[in-house]
Amino acid sequence: MKRTRLGALLVAAGMLVAACGGAATPAPSAAPSAEASQAPSASAAQSVAPSAAAVKEGGTLVVAIPGDIKRTDSALVDDGNTAYVALNVMESLVGLAPGTTNKVVDLLAASHQVSADGLTYTFKLRSGVKFHDGTSLDAAAVKYNYDRWISFPKELQAYSYYAGAVFGGFGADSNVKSVAAPDSSTVVITLRSPSSTFLLTQTLPQFGIASPTALKAGKADNTETDVSKILFAQGGPPAMVGTGPFKFDKWVKGQEVDLVKNADYWNKDGVAHLDKLVFKPIADETAILNGLESGDIDLAQKVSPVDVATIKTKPALQVIDRGASCNLAHVGINQVYANHIPAPANAKQIMTNLKIRQAIMYAIDRQALIDAFYAGLATPADNWMPLDTQYAKPLNLPTYDPVKAKALIAESGIAAADLTIDFYYPSDVTRPYMPDPKGIFEAIQTNLEAVGFTVRPHTDTWSPTYLDNEYAGKYEVFLIGWTCDWAGPDNFLKTAFFGYVNGKPSTEFGYKNDVLNKTMNDALAATDDATAKTLWEKAQDLIAADLPTVPLVNSTPPAVAQAYVKGFVGAGNLTELMNSVWINKP
Amino acid sequence: MLKYIVRRVLMAIPVLFGLSIVLFAFVHLLPGDPTRAILGQHATPELVARLRESLGLDKPLWEQYVLYIGQLLRGDLGVSIVTGASVSSEFVARFPGTVELTIAALIFAVGFGIPLGRFAARHPQGARDASVTVISLLGISIPVFVLGLSLQWIFGAQMKILPTSGRIDPRLNLDIRTNFMLVDALLAGRANVFVDALRHLVLPAIALGSIPLAIITRITRASVLDVANEDYVRTARAKGLTERRVDGRHIMRNAWLPVTTVIGLQVGSLLAGAVITETVFGWNGVGKWVVEAIQDRDYFVVQSSILIFALIFLVVNLVVDIGYAYLNPRIRYG
Repeated sequence: MKRTRLGALLVAAGMLVAACGGAATPAPSAAPSAEASQAPSASAAQSVAPSAAAVKEGGTLVVAIPGDIKRTDSALVDDGNTAYVALNVMESLVGLAPGTTNKVVDLLAASHQVSADGLTYTFKLRSGVKFHDGTSLDAAAVKYNYDRWISFPKELQAYSYYAGAVFGGFGADSNVKSVAAPDSSTVVITLRSPSSTFLLTQTLPQFGIASPTALKAGKADNTETDVSKILFAQGGPPAMVGTGPFKFDKWVKGQEVDLVKNADYWNKDGVAHLDKLVFKPIADETAILNGLESGDIDLAQKVSPVDVATIKTKPALQVIDRGASCNLAHVGINQVYANHIPAPANAKQIMTNLKIRQAIMYAIDRQALIDAFYAGLATPADNWMPLDTQYAKPLNLPTYDPVKAKALIAESGIAAADLTIDFYYPSDVTRPYMPDPKGIFEAIQTNLEAVGFTVRPHTDTWSPTYLDNEYAGKYEVFLIGWTCDWAGPDNFLKTAFFGYVNGKPSTEFGYKNDVLNKTMNDALAATDDATAKTLWEKAQDLIAADLPTVPLVNSTPPAVAQAYVKGFVGAGNLTELMNSVWINKP
Repeated sequence: MLKYIVRRVLMAIPVLFGLSIVLFAFVHLLPGDPTRAILGQHATPELVARLRESLGLDKPLWEQYVLYIGQLLRGDLGVSIVTGASVSSEFVARFPGTVELTIAALIFAVGFGIPLGRFAARHPQGARDASVTVISLLGISIPVFVLGLSLQWIFGAQMKILPTSGRIDPRLNLDIRTNFMLVDALLAGRANVFVDALRHLVLPAIALGSIPLAIITRITRASVLDVANEDYVRTARAKGLTERRVDGRHIMRNAWLPVTTVIGLQVGSLLAGAVITETVFGWNGVGKWVVEAIQDRDYFVVQSSILIFALIFLVVNLVVDIGYAYLNPRIRYG
């Protein structure tokens, strides 16, 4: 029956194709060239840099991204898709070295200096840098941007998460006290209190410097408070006017974002090889795979890990390892959970018991998870942040040892009848750190039951139920994770996990440790690198001793490209500049 | 006739009004609200509260509804809560995509459904009839997303003869003006782009048209068989008319009526099917947009765009009924 149907479709489609005049089909290059495979390493930047003679100029690269961008004003977005696109257009004072997640380099600044008290940052700007609208970058332009971010009106603050989170608020609450432009090439930023991750956060595309002329013309000068009327954010014109290697061309909402080469890019070595860059939002992972195979897509930012093995067998495609991870999956634990369903089968709060938490970690075979669900593209986590994160160090956390787990349970003093866990996982989502929540849950359930726990499964839809409930402390044990905003310890340990909220332990984990909270605050306010390092390491030791949650893995979801795509430098936090990419087609 | 039309138009008003209440209740009953979609894992209770207030989501539901209806009556469809863009401009930008796809699917369904139905009716009860029945049963029973992904895999990934997603190859740099890709290609006077747009239409049109194709095939077969058994057809044959003439003049002319109605009704199922097809094929239309909006609890987008869909459905039905009444006067007085 199936054959009849397909046969009929074949005939029908054949006729339609024929009716269209037998169009030439785009021929995906079948033969991979010798240099197709790229060295998968964190320091990929050097290994993929092609010799100048080999590089081919021109062409259009079609990049599949998981969803459409939200707006065209990089300061008024917090989603990954917009950041991924904007990074190629907008440049900040400082940036990340290609292929790294935390190596800060000067970008629009030619140099920078930090005062001894950690409060004053002085940036000397590069000369001769022009915005895409032809106006010049100077200190006044930088000041204009910072002043805009700090003083976002109330209505726009919800859209400018990063300015709020990084600076700790707006207006008088902002940690940026003032921005001065003493001369046309000097910018002085004065902070209210020192921040050891200030420079790292300023590499985000959300802090990309836009042309003040374009901001004013696009009503993005804080006089218009209705985001729907800010042309600069809604696709313009003008919109997304920065200094980067690509210029914003157009945004066809829901369909594509087009960028074109900036031939006048200030960094002559960084002028893009491509003429045009097209970002296409495709949410369905099967559709992405089909698009890669048919040649419609040149580069996919994200594929399903289960497809990686298939893709590796296709000579026309290449799997590109991103090197360092910038995420963490962990088994969240709420120590103050008292909400067992159905009660009173397990009225005891067994999660307050350190030995039980350690037993859970010893019970889980994390390498098996990596092999089964991450296509091998992850490493067992040995910290609450990837080890490539600023100030991160190995903590020698428990590894798979069911015998040890049973021994710890015996030592814990908890009766076997009370070893019941309410375990939650999200039902309808894949995250880079959690490609198959149900499968991962089931594997962990088997592990935990093998050492004597009784696991009661519960599931909810990811957004909003799951996120709301786990944040509110309604789950005892749950799968959760974090993808970094920036690869700093504060972003993982403090913001995402264990920092106090309004002076109290977060409702999410119910983990109370005043010393840790103070240590993290002190570390963030440290004025010199050595102090920051010492304090952050102390914070990590404190967390390791308490094991408030069970780290699972740091994953490195790969990019997939046609074999003819060259020079792409992947990064674990997706700060991927496309100016080094070129197309090797005959 | 005019009275009939006026009556039908007046009847549409309470229908739309009732629908607006149901829709409003439905989208607001979904757990959660758009603040989560906007803030994601970054949401803190303070941020959520501040955003809810600035979006007016902290007001009582009835007040939100009254405000919404007031907006609608002034012709304002509201603003997307998630992107901040106006719903009407977003709708206008995406609607051509849906129209283009729907028309293509309808052409596919009618173009293949009617000949298949006639073919089956001409050879009733035999193997040929049975195979057409099987095709139409499959057309109805295969879920659109399964068919869509299978088509992509066969014609895109394996045979590499048709594109798998999108409306146009972005490498062609088409200057988009009307957002009807075929029209824009003609305006630009570029034949190769026109062909590319057509090729992008093929697979989604087949996926979307499969259910209407099956229904049209079944109805055509039944209708033709009905008429073929009428006395006047036997008389026509007895008169010695050629089979061709009997078929064209006597059978099809009368068999058309029910088929026309069914085709009109398919517009509704096509608009509904477009939601899935557009999502699977990365097709930039209203359907894909609504799916994303539902996921994001983007209230105004969901409410307003579904209301517009309903309005379109009512108008199409009206036009079909008027056409039917024109063709068959008995309806008018019925």
